[in-house]
Amino acid sequence: MSASLEQGIHAFKEQIDAPVATFFSSCVRCGLCAQACLFYTETGNPEYTPIHKLEPLRRVWKQEYTFWGRYAKAFGLSKPVTDAELGDWEKYVYDSCTMCGRCSMVCPVGNDIAYMIRRMREGMAAAGHAPEGLVGATRRAITIGSPMGVKLPALQAQIRNAEQESGLKIPVDVQGADYMVLLSSMEIMNFPEFISAIARIFERANVSWTISSEAFEATNSGIQIGVSELAAELVQRVVDAAEKLQVKNVISPECGHAYFAIRWEGPNLVGKAFNFKVVHILELLDDLRKQGRLKVSSKETQKLTYHDPCQITRRGGVAEQPRNLLNMVAENFVEMPEHGTMNWCCGAGGGVSTNERADELRLKAFKRKQAQLNAVQPDALVSACSNCRIQLEEGLEENSMDIPVLSLTETIAAHLSDD
Amino acid sequence: MTTITNDVKFRQLVSGLDAARQRALAARFVGHVLDLCSDERVTRVAQVAAKSDASASELATALHTARTAAIESHNRCGAECDWKDQAGYFVARAAVAAITPADQMPGGPAWQAAVSSRMARTCESIDTAAENAGTEQDYQYRTLAEFLEPR
Repeated sequence: MSASLEQGIHAFKEQIDAPVATFFSSCVRCGLCAQACLFYTETGNPEYTPIHKLEPLRRVWKQEYTFWGRYAKAFGLSKPVTDAELGDWEKYVYDSCTMCGRCSMVCPVGNDIAYMIRRMREGMAAAGHAPEGLVGATRRAITIGSPMGVKLPALQAQIRNAEQESGLKIPVDVQGADYMVLLSSMEIMNFPEFISAIARIFERANVSWTISSEAFEATNSGIQIGVSELAAELVQRVVDAAEKLQVKNVISPECGHAYFAIRWEGPNLVGKAFNFKVVHILELLDDLRKQGRLKVSSKETQKLTYHDPCQITRRGGVAEQPRNLLNMVAENFVEMPEHGTMNWCCGAGGGVSTNERADELRLKAFKRKQAQLNAVQPDALVSACSNCRIQLEEGLEENSMDIPVLSLTETIAAHLSDD
Repeated sequence: MTTITNDVKFRQLVSGLDAARQRALAARFVGHVLDLCSDERVTRVAQVAAKSDASASELATALHTARTAAIESHNRCGAECDWKDQAGYFVARAAVAAITPADQMPGGPAWQAAVSSRMARTCESIDTAAENAGTEQDYQYRTLAEFLEPR
């Protein structure tokens, strides 16, 4: 990826579409977005006010696309965006924003600030101001097929393990299957038990499924860093694999941004509608429950609560399904305050967890989740995103909170009925 | 001696063990993969798990240590994978399983320690590109069979 200030400013100009221009001209500077952002609430630093994170993009909009801004620019009355300034802005655009979209929910004039941050990252990356961790992850995603460098033999080894554990055959490259399952590298590396969990569930529910050996990675680093061209290439690989196997549906796994990337950005990135449907694993599991194909023989007796991954619930629309599933599998499911679409982010999404520089800040941001958990005192915390899971585990550990973190899919698999 | 050739029988036999024996068996499973983990804390946890007279406070401290070791050793999201380190992560997870009270561990401590130990061995095989499919499982079957022999 070649990068320069000129390319960055050019990218900013390209990203200023009608919604972005409307949002900037509509902002009334009320500051409500600050109160919705956990990086502001947990640090008290006004620089983390969401709309402030967009300041360089706002100036480019004003200087290029408004009458008075152009006038001021022509007469040297406005400050141009500089390379050093964009360098300084990395900490606002990448370190202290998970693109969770909570700010967009509270904006009284309807500005989608998360959308604008996504646009701004395009310019930041083009100017060469993206965190090293995200640059590396994106490079590996393009060259190897996984941001963590997970190659097919590693997946095959984990599949063999899952087959031994579950006693079931994990289908790979099955032509004409109903569902093609994507996996995040985090699942393959840190939580491979997810593979045997879905194998057991699908076997009981009689679901025809497969994994593609050519495109198994669910995540999309191109979106996180803000390079649409690369994001489109990653989406296209999934499209090609799904079309080659002629599957009817593609399943996004327990990964927040992967779902948003393939389900909501995907068709726009590749410029055409998919000829398959994209569903999140929880959507499918809830459908199976409704059809009577997913039953449990026992329930979790401990008090469970659910952390909504932002990209799945708030930005993805999958809010009811996890609750239906939890009510099926848990005797004592309780909601945290401000759950569902207004849930607080774990603090590590949108590439923040990949960015080592943000480690201290993201653990500070976890304090908000700590407060939510303290309000309900659960025995265990359930979620549906591997990245959230790791952040929650780290945050709980950092704060000496003895609460296990569970995957919803794996919890269901552990209680499956034999019928 | 009991012959064990599959996980169905393995799990059935393991689930019949009481909590103390589950922990003792789990400690053996962890001990067999300890060479894949360079974290001394995990070694000490495995030693506590193997102690038949470990006190409740010793077990609680060991559990906390094991959890910390597991959390500190996982591969960061988006970071380049290191399967050797990842083997250490699964050994730490096996140690967590071994020391967790039986009623808090789905399938029981010995089963979960067995699964994580196998994952550790799988990570080693990915790292070294050496074929070792089933070797850890076979070891665990033999160990359980010996474990069940009357003393």
